[in-house]
Amino acid sequence: MRLQFERRLTAESSWWVSSVITTGAVLFAFLICAVLFLPYTSSPFSAYGALFAESFGSLRGFGLTLNRAAPLILVALGTCIAWRAGFPYLGFEGSLAMGATVCAWLALAVTVTESSAFTALFLLAALPLSFAAGGVWAGAVGVVHSRFGGNVVLISLMTNYVATFIVQYLVAGPMRAPGSQPETPRLPELTWLPNLIPETRTHAGICIAVIAALLCWCLLSRLRIGYELVVTGLNPVAAGYGGINVGQRQLLAACLAGGLGALAGVVELLGSQHRMLDGLSGGVGFIGIVVALLARLHPLAVVPTAFLYAALAVGADALQRRTGAPSSIIHILQSLIVLTVLAAEVLRHWQIRLKPSPTAGGSLHAG
Amino acid sequence: MTESAPALADNLHPMVRLSGIVKRYPGVLANNNANLTVAMGEVHALLGENGAGKSTLMQVLYGACQQDAGDIEFAGRIVRFNSQRDAIRAGIGMIHQDFMLVRPFTVAENVMLGLYQGGAGVLDVNTVVTRIRLLSERHGLEVDPLARIDQLPLGVQQRVEILKLLYRDARLLILDEPTAVLTPQETLALLASLRSLVADGRSVIIVTHKLHEIMAVADRITIMRNGHTLATVDKAATSEAELARLMVGRDVLLKVDRPEQVSGRRLLSVKALQVDDERGQPCVRNVSLDVHAGEIVGIAGVDGNGQSPLVEALMGLRRVQAGRVVFDDNDVTNKTLAARAARGMMYVPADRRRMGSLDELSIEDNAILGSQQQFTHAHSPWLDRKAIRAHAEALITRYTIRTPDSHFHAGKLSGGNLQKLILGRELMRNPRLLIVEQPTRGLDVGAIEFVWAELLAARSSGMAILIVSTELEEILNLADRIIVMFDGRVMGELAGSAATNEQLGLLMAGLQSQE
Repeated sequence: MRLQFERRLTAESSWWVSSVITTGAVLFAFLICAVLFLPYTSSPFSAYGALFAESFGSLRGFGLTLNRAAPLILVALGTCIAWRAGFPYLGFEGSLAMGATVCAWLALAVTVTESSAFTALFLLAALPLSFAAGGVWAGAVGVVHSRFGGNVVLISLMTNYVATFIVQYLVAGPMRAPGSQPETPRLPELTWLPNLIPETRTHAGICIAVIAALLCWCLLSRLRIGYELVVTGLNPVAAGYGGINVGQRQLLAACLAGGLGALAGVVELLGSQHRMLDGLSGGVGFIGIVVALLARLHPLAVVPTAFLYAALAVGADALQRRTGAPSSIIHILQSLIVLTVLAAEVLRHWQIRLKPSPTAGGSLHAG
Repeated sequence: MTESAPALADNLHPMVRLSGIVKRYPGVLANNNANLTVAMGEVHALLGENGAGKSTLMQVLYGACQQDAGDIEFAGRIVRFNSQRDAIRAGIGMIHQDFMLVRPFTVAENVMLGLYQGGAGVLDVNTVVTRIRLLSERHGLEVDPLARIDQLPLGVQQRVEILKLLYRDARLLILDEPTAVLTPQETLALLASLRSLVADGRSVIIVTHKLHEIMAVADRITIMRNGHTLATVDKAATSEAELARLMVGRDVLLKVDRPEQVSGRRLLSVKALQVDDERGQPCVRNVSLDVHAGEIVGIAGVDGNGQSPLVEALMGLRRVQAGRVVFDDNDVTNKTLAARAARGMMYVPADRRRMGSLDELSIEDNAILGSQQQFTHAHSPWLDRKAIRAHAEALITRYTIRTPDSHFHAGKLSGGNLQKLILGRELMRNPRLLIVEQPTRGLDVGAIEFVWAELLAARSSGMAILIVSTELEEILNLADRIIVMFDGRVMGELAGSAATNEQLGLLMAGLQSQE
């Protein structure tokens, strides 16, 4: 018997085949990466055990994983909406920073009252305001694109730097806390996201992220406007023929994406950092895009994918402590996952078959 | 084994013999004991309805996929091709409907692509150019080897594809629907070139639906139905009517009955319309026309004489430079397509895959394209999935769309079924004016009949219909009035019942008919 590749008649597109293929690819990446552990431990799989014991085994670690996953999910959701509408937006670092800045300004500007409803009222104001700020920030790219043309990838990438410089100016100047690092004062404790699990640092960001995932899924698969977004992304010509205003829909997608990016900033700010500073995101604005692509731009698949990425990041330090293997191995593993998942795409178009080998069946298949 | 070639005379040597080919795909038996013998020096036509298995059989032959059973014998030897590269090395080449050319490259560079010759990695363009000139002269495939592909019309690009194969000395050339993109003149030139190729001892297989072209160029014809080869006949011993009958298994009346009917009030009135193309050159010049309720107006003309820009301008998909479009006494010149649709102007575009439908979406999602507002729960943004499914299923039943279910991707439908889906979708929106561009391009005879009958039924119901078609047969059969376009202008208008091929031909060539 030998293995043979055979082309499928049409690309396999059912969701369960996709998830089997993706899961297989992720496991394969773990397998390859196991080799890198060999110099440090005789049993690479116990190293993985240590890794996941850290991020899932204890309540504290699990909380950290949730905290890491929340902003990743939000950025990935923004990617889903923008990219599926045919708007390849890459400016999430920027919209995240803008959203966080506006939120920090609001948190420092309000007069804190010691009432139990304050946090809820503050969030009710801060979330929409930051969402709007991110939406305007990304929407500007959409307007420039639809009015003057130009490459969305390049323009949106550049806006990240603009946002970074604005933040650097603000935290070093007008918003700087007196006599400290270039960062704002610590935000009043009552503006922080409420704690979910006592004794841990788990904050409510994950709730915002999961609710957002459900809303995005509804939008794309249940709402008329979502249908129009998807049609626009798949084929702008057919969308125009279907009476859909392509420019308007892409602008809407851009605004929603920017808004979701901004929420990621809010979660990071009010949940973890509690003060605005340069480099607040820690690269979430880009890793989130990778997460969305791995989840095939599906809003619900984004959630487990982000969990995996967050768990790897949280477990990395524990890994170094226990086995002595450098935590950068986790970056290698994350990159390997991207590679294997992309490579596994082939399996949607080709299938592997077992065929009798020519030597074994030689007498029967002569000629 | 021998049943495949009843008409093969003894003095003809077979170039290729496919015997007992079986090809299974999940859920489909694409080829079921198909047999085909092509002689040296003949043009062999492969004829069959959409989904009859022609493409699969050809894919097996040129190595794009492998048969589950059966043999391929080429030049006297049993062969097995694992890839197209194997096939082209053996001397079998395929020309697809969509050309595989590198657009910013020159003709010569495209021909050279993939050739391994000369040491030291030096590309000798001059030799290639000389040989291309020689080949193109010999077979009437006129082309400038130094021209860039993206500046060449489709007809010339096709010649480049043929030259690519000839340069590699292909003995057997397979052409899939070669005339679908060609003007009548280009078609004639192509058919002449094909004859010249077989005179050279090569063989040609053309896969096509067009019976008159088969009668013009083929030596023998093999008819396929439901995955197997039904019969092989000599051109001399058959007729278009017999071929049509063999292909669909029933008699096709390509002459339809158009009952006399008094047309109603004027619905569409176009006045002195002027439209520019992408380069800012006028491509619709001073066109005026009317369409009344209960009549079919046909716009005839060679492809690319302003018909498409005209229709796009009528539907609001292209800017109007001057003139007016009036629908039902309302000026809609600057209204959006959605606003026009709300008034009852619907449109079936020529490009079914790229404009009329979305490949990656289900039949259900395609069935609501354009009327997605109507398929929401009352006064809410939520799509009513139940209503959508019912609508899609009604569409499938009413227009006999062959599909496993309503979740099937539109991209997997055959051309005929896709056109039924698009035409049916627009008809079910109850249009008052329906504009149909190339209603039956690339369809098999059965689907053509179906589309024609639907259009005539819509006419009887009082709909105003504007048809743009490059098929004269279609225009003559359907249209009450015929408008001929040439170079963006209206060359003349004829009554449908009085028009003749000759008159139309003169007008289409840009010559005023003598009074």
